[in-house]
Amino acid sequence: MKKWLSILVLSILAFSLAACGQQEDKSKEESKDAKTDEVFKIGAIPDQNAADLEKGMTAVADYLSEKTGLKVEFVPSVDYAALVTGFQRGEIHMAWFGGLTSVQARNLVPDAESIVQRPRDAEFHSVFITQPNSGISKLEDLKGVPFTFGSESSTSGHLMPRYFMTEAGINPDEDLDGKPNYSGSHDATYKLVESGAFKAGALNEAVWEAAVNEGKVDTSKVKVFYTTPAYFDYNWTINSNVEEVFGKGTKQKVKEALLSITGDQKDIADLFQTDSFVETNNDNYKMIEKVAKDLKIIK
Amino acid sequence: MKLVSSLRLHNRFFLSLLLAAVFIWSLSSIEWNSKDLLHSGGGPTLLQIAEGLFQPDLSADVLAKGFESAWITLAYAIAGMSLAIIYAFIVGILASGVITSAKAARITNKVIFRGILGFTRSIHELIWAWLFVAAVGLSPFSAIFALAIPYGGILGRIFADMLADVPKEPIHALKSAGASKLQTLIYGYLPLVWADFISYTMYRFECAIRSSAIMSFVGLGGLGYEIQLALQDLRYDRVWAFVLFLVGLVILVDFWSNVVRKSLTDHQAKSGLRSGWISVGFAILMIFVSWIFIVLNENAHIFELVSDQNIGASKRFFGGMFGFNNENPAFLDPSNWSNAFKLTLETLEMSIMAIGFSTIAAFLTVIPAARNMANGQLTGNKKWYHSLMFWIVRVIYIFSRSVPELVWAMMIIFIFKPGLLPGAIALALHNFGILGKLWAEVIEDMDPRPIRNLAAAGASKLETFFYGILPIVMPRFLTYILYRWEVIMRTTIVVGFVGAGGLGMDFKLAMSYFDYTQITLLLICYMILVIIADFASESTRKAVK
Repeated sequence: MKKWLSILVLSILAFSLAACGQQEDKSKEESKDAKTDEVFKIGAIPDQNAADLEKGMTAVADYLSEKTGLKVEFVPSVDYAALVTGFQRGEIHMAWFGGLTSVQARNLVPDAESIVQRPRDAEFHSVFITQPNSGISKLEDLKGVPFTFGSESSTSGHLMPRYFMTEAGINPDEDLDGKPNYSGSHDATYKLVESGAFKAGALNEAVWEAAVNEGKVDTSKVKVFYTTPAYFDYNWTINSNVEEVFGKGTKQKVKEALLSITGDQKDIADLFQTDSFVETNNDNYKMIEKVAKDLKIIK
Repeated sequence: MKLVSSLRLHNRFFLSLLLAAVFIWSLSSIEWNSKDLLHSGGGPTLLQIAEGLFQPDLSADVLAKGFESAWITLAYAIAGMSLAIIYAFIVGILASGVITSAKAARITNKVIFRGILGFTRSIHELIWAWLFVAAVGLSPFSAIFALAIPYGGILGRIFADMLADVPKEPIHALKSAGASKLQTLIYGYLPLVWADFISYTMYRFECAIRSSAIMSFVGLGGLGYEIQLALQDLRYDRVWAFVLFLVGLVILVDFWSNVVRKSLTDHQAKSGLRSGWISVGFAILMIFVSWIFIVLNENAHIFELVSDQNIGASKRFFGGMFGFNNENPAFLDPSNWSNAFKLTLETLEMSIMAIGFSTIAAFLTVIPAARNMANGQLTGNKKWYHSLMFWIVRVIYIFSRSVPELVWAMMIIFIFKPGLLPGAIALALHNFGILGKLWAEVIEDMDPRPIRNLAAAGASKLETFFYGILPIVMPRFLTYILYRWEVIMRTTIVVGFVGAGGLGMDFKLAMSYFDYTQITLLLICYMILVIIADFASESTRKAVK
């Protein structure tokens, strides 16, 4: 019996190897026809509710397919850094980045380009929220308060709020109550303040407005006490390998398709809170880059 | 003789005192003022979380997702373990030194391969996963390899130990009959150890389930991913529903692993033999099905791993970690080191606090959790509430250990302020269930006669515990505490990811900011800690024995 069982152990090994062998064959077959019909993959930073994001971005993918004739697909990702890495690896051909992530991505892929944004992204704001009776009415009041940012890679949920807090003389790493929390997303931020887990937080103005309009947040429990000055934020950044993989003129074709989106594409309009897109360029993000360098978030 | 044993007793006593003192030192790092510990909304949040526990969302939608993601979690765990076995098998044999004959070669072999095993198991699977994803992208193989490497390291070490401990007589007999090295291995060593090896592997399999569940943190599906999504939306009722799926999965695997282990170690029982065959056949079937599922359904292509693009990306990533093309690598900057040193110390304090809390919690609950206490076998006195208490505590233990530290931490961070305490509590919540279970087994295995004697002489329950049970079980209790501390040390970095303090938080930030040399620096600190913990725990364990 012992002999039999050692044979079994060996066959476990053999089976696992057989399984490996199988997938090798399969990948060979697939790589044969890969060149002829490469999928144009788009991504988005997971800064809000995953289901909403999936719905809106799939609509974008369908719209782009229809307009450009490319096979477009949305690839969800779990965190900001993962999307930047995918972009760096050339697996994501175009991404909806925040200001900071687009700067990070262009640092890693020098020839990538920020091409299109919403009108509001040219003068974007963050809002600071708190509970109505907390007694907090300006940034200076945040001293000694339990506070939450969004994702650490977020522009409107971390970078710019941190910058304006620093300008107001609050060092987020020392002056708050304990260290700041990083909630991971804008939706989580207002929910954490609403539930009382944190006394104050900072998030993206667009997400906040959408939450208020759709009744997702109880405004008797959370209010805005400060809105930041304007800065450039979100944009569509296109990868440097696009022309090479999909042929010359693809960049222009995709850009035009994005610019042709109107309020008629309801799922898209709902997600982006906009009825039009406008052109942008890399130079618009110089300020974000400088702030990120000053705060030592990029080197 | 008498002197020696009394010395040993003193050893244990001093060791316990020392451990208690270290624990108290670690507590001093926190400002104990309830206002400073909880968030202002911590209390209400705790209530909301508790409410979700008693009313989990069991709608059809969630149940369907639960089954699907439980299967994904299981499939990845099985695939990872099957690779871990291969790795452990090969490196374990090399590390045991049984196939080398020259003495010098044997020693170098041992040092090199034991070193490899030690290195691979010292890094937590989630860190491996992160490194793989950064280097080769989000492929199912990133998760499978990330599971296989540390688990292979653990299994390989045990395998090597088992081979080295094989009784020498049968081997000598084979050798003198002219068997070659390979023949002694196949006909001598392996048949002697395989049963123990498989049974230990099955034992580890339960941990692999939990590890597989938290792989979602680097972007793979499964129960962890659903838990994470539900937590993002603050839907605690859903969080608990998926946690219950995880608990169920762990119980099932626990049951299966018990069946396999019983049938393997029980050589006499005929019926055990048959169920052993069925289990092994079932295991093979599961491995097969899991791999097919992952390859077909999750689109895993092994060839893609070595594409030019991946090689380029890995070169960039690891080159970045070594600080190539970087004028000012973090690990050459003294101010970074002093900051990292502070975090390292914090991490150490967190681990000590965590093991202290779990020890206290396990200590308070272990007595009703032992089966022979509950049914009155040990003390000769049985009350109706004993078995009720037994089941309550056991259910709490299972619950506590089924939920990974990281998931505990993600919830606790909503209640306590970010810092060392939430991390320590999360680690303790997970580990006290394990510690309690191990301790209860120690009590169940002890000789009941001295205790009955005490009880019969009229000792109260408390007296029986302190004068009867405790002195007998103390050495093994201490051993388990030290052993769990090693494991906790390895995991501290992971709870830090969600803001629970220590090295983990900065590791996560460095990953997000693509600050590769900082990652290297933090990993160096982490590995130094793990090595120190391993060494300290091993030498103290020897002193206790």
